[in-house]
Amino acid sequence: MSKLTKQDVSKAAWYWTFFHHCCQNYERMMGLAFCSTLAKPLKKLYGNDKKGLSEALTRNMTFFNTEPQLGSLIPGMTLALEEAKANGEPVEAEVINSTKSALMGPFAGIGDSILVGTYNPILLSIGIGLSANGSPLGAIFFYLTWTISVVLLKYFGFIKGYSMGMDAVTTLLNSGLKDKIVTALNIVGLIVIGGVASTTVAAPIKWSFNAGEMVVAIQSSILDKILPGLVPLVLTLVCYWLMSKKNWSANKIILLILGIAAVCVPLGIM
Amino acid sequence: MQLWQALLIGLFAYLGRNQVPWLFGTTGGFYAMGRPLVAGAVIGLIMGDVSTGVLCGVAVQALFIGQIVPGGALPSDLNFAAYLGIPLAMAAGGGSDVAVALAMPLGTLGVALHNFTMTFNSVFAHRADRYAAEGDADKIPLMNLMGTVVHFIERVGLVTLICYFGSQFAGDLIDKIPAVIMNFLAVGGKMLPALGFALLLKQIVSEKWMIVLFLAGWVLNKSVSMTTTALVIIAAAVALLFVMAKGNGSANQGAAVASSNQTLTEEGDYDE
Repeated sequence: MSKLTKQDVSKAAWYWTFFHHCCQNYERMMGLAFCSTLAKPLKKLYGNDKKGLSEALTRNMTFFNTEPQLGSLIPGMTLALEEAKANGEPVEAEVINSTKSALMGPFAGIGDSILVGTYNPILLSIGIGLSANGSPLGAIFFYLTWTISVVLLKYFGFIKGYSMGMDAVTTLLNSGLKDKIVTALNIVGLIVIGGVASTTVAAPIKWSFNAGEMVVAIQSSILDKILPGLVPLVLTLVCYWLMSKKNWSANKIILLILGIAAVCVPLGIM
Repeated sequence: MQLWQALLIGLFAYLGRNQVPWLFGTTGGFYAMGRPLVAGAVIGLIMGDVSTGVLCGVAVQALFIGQIVPGGALPSDLNFAAYLGIPLAMAAGGGSDVAVALAMPLGTLGVALHNFTMTFNSVFAHRADRYAAEGDADKIPLMNLMGTVVHFIERVGLVTLICYFGSQFAGDLIDKIPAVIMNFLAVGGKMLPALGFALLLKQIVSEKWMIVLFLAGWVLNKSVSMTTTALVIIAAAVALLFVMAKGNGSANQGAAVASSNQTLTEEGDYDE
């Protein structure tokens, strides 16, 4: 049993600060960066327990997407939960997964609208004003104020998340409410994942046919009337079904999706 | 334009590209070095005319102010637009109007490149899956780092070449990629997150009925235009109802913590 020192947590916070987007991809978004952030601390925590380590690493390789500057709280919190779990406290993997899933959506929404959608344009407007005569002062002002303030927010957000996670663990252990909280988190997590997925997965249908003199666009006049986002929803559920019931690998699913695109795009369906 | 100038511009374009880590992640990179306002000043300095560079930067910046990248879906790659539009305009002896005119189509080309790397880079995640299964913690950050190698080749390579060979090259390149390929990249990229969510569901859904919750979240968010924060509050209410209904008396404790609502604790069996 080992504990994380202040330096371990600080190193992980800096890693996230720099590398949160490094290998972002459509399939996992920041999942790989999330796992990379926790990799070193997890290795220390599990020591010679290879099985525990590989489970923890795999658990944190899943899809993760948020606004990483404000959302740095989430990997911090996860690190605290993982530390407790590694030290044998009864924190279930489900709790860790659900905490991440439940938090990533709201942090993405708040971070995108407040930081990127409001704070950044405000500073930019000031910068544009200062640079309107061709002076680089505005650019320098914008670069320094934005970068310094947000880097501090990102780094200390991670640290804060870590200490909040520790408190959350203590609450869980002392109150005996764990099962209820797990259920509640699962419910919140799944509903929110559904919402985030609905805005992330897309499959636009371009196809339309002529009925007499009328042109019927499949997407806008039929599919959207039944249920907005119907096609991507079915696609997501089919992928889930293939993976969980038919044991399809991720690579097979990628081929399937690219295959659909390769057939539908030249035919003008999508 | 001299080769060293083209190379330097390519290097700064890379530093300000989305996802590149070296300037405190996206904070000092994409959201600061990548902004046309900053790009204009940097390019002006490299090309020996700071004032024109800044004025071009201001003009292009005004076009793209307040752009966010929700869920990794880039509306227009303003980094590519700025780091090519401004130097090409300046090299052609034009001012800010030329920069703006060039920036628009370049932004679209940049999105195609973004879609390509966002699709391609899942390769490294799959590699990392294997290392995770083996418990090899050191190799995972290495895979994370590989992503930026792809970005480096793409951005430094293309921006340097295009700056050096001029705007004709850019036009030809856009014309030479068939529309079908651009479309294929865009459509495929939009559908791929389905896999990510399928993986997540596989991990979280422990009982079959729970998939209904995912469905409800999807339909709610898609049919009623609402923010994720609003959805979280609704989800919390559903969770609260469920926990209260299931646990009867003693569940009030869970409800009280979940909602931190004082009145619930007064309903009876709160024995702490």
